Amino acid sequence: MKLVKTLALAAALTLSPVAGSALAETPAKAEAGAGEILLAKVNGLVCDFCAQSIRKIVGKDEAVQKVYVDLSKGEVRVDLKPGKSLDDAALEALIRKAGYSMVSVDRNFAK
Amino acid sequence: MPPRYLAAGLALAAFAAPASARPVSYAGGWTLMQDNNGMYSSLHAHYSPTATDSIGLYVEQNQEMDTTFTGLKYTRLAKRWNAPQSQGNLYFSLGAGAADPFGDADTEWGSMAGVAADWETRRVFVSYDAHVRDYGENETLSHAARIGIAPYVAEFGKFHTWAMVQVENTPDADEPVTVTPLLRFFQGPLLVEAGYTLEDEEFLLNWTWRF
Repeated sequence: MKLVKTLALAAALTLSPVAGSALAETPAKAEAGAGEILLAKVNGLVCDFCAQSIRKIVGKDEAVQKVYVDLSKGEVRVDLKPGKSLDDAALEALIRKAGYSMVSVDRNFAK
Repeated sequence: MPPRYLAAGLALAAFAAPASARPVSYAGGWTLMQDNNGMYSSLHAHYSPTATDSIGLYVEQNQEMDTTFTGLKYTRLAKRWNAPQSQGNLYFSLGAGAADPFGDADTEWGSMAGVAADWETRRVFVSYDAHVRDYGENETLSHAARIGIAPYVAEFGKFHTWAMVQVENTPDADEPVTVTPLLRFFQGPLLVEAGYTLEDEEFLLNWTWRF
């Protein structure tokens, strides 16, 4: 039984650094010709898994190029693909589908 | 008679304390969770069709009740409170399946029900959960509370650490009240908890993998 426990602990600790975790990324600056950038204030972003959920759900939308989550500020930045649009209601629905609450969205912060 | 090989999946188990971190994932998410304590070991594989529901296979080898339970478990995120710097959750769960006593006794229908609540910021975590198990001729109630502190606040994608203490009460157990100091680590989709239950003198090792 002690051997099983030791092996399980070793496996868990070994898996941890190679879990394929998403590294924190720095949002790219807005470039000419790039798609619209939205900055949403979101409530409930208190953990890593919160950010993963947002990125998974919002990132799947066909209009979305990239999603960045800032846990300390409670903000979600959504970079849209050139020529694509995502209205406030659609973004709010995606964030709600991830399990969180959108408070506001700024479409002008990058201008 | 439930497949006994399922119990082998619990061979990773045999440590202590219920974790059940976030039993409901984002819509379309899968989760594997293993809880291990001196009383039982469990493996829960579930799918969340929505952000408020999950359903999956639940297998538990309960040393205290001398029974292996195999069945379906449904969890409902009944209420979530999202605030600027915190989040609170209230969950209800139900399970039904086969309760196979250790030894030669016949398998019977078994069921379980639970309620859990948690509240956290990026620095503080508190939770409470209570479960009732009805495994044929055996029934038991257990409930536990946890409090945790993050010694540092890690950004998204980095290695997170939490120091926690759990107090659990199972009135019918040999040791009704147990205290388990533990550490919780997570990075990306993997969460691991390691601790030690003082009264049972059992190590704890739980994990959760989301994908």
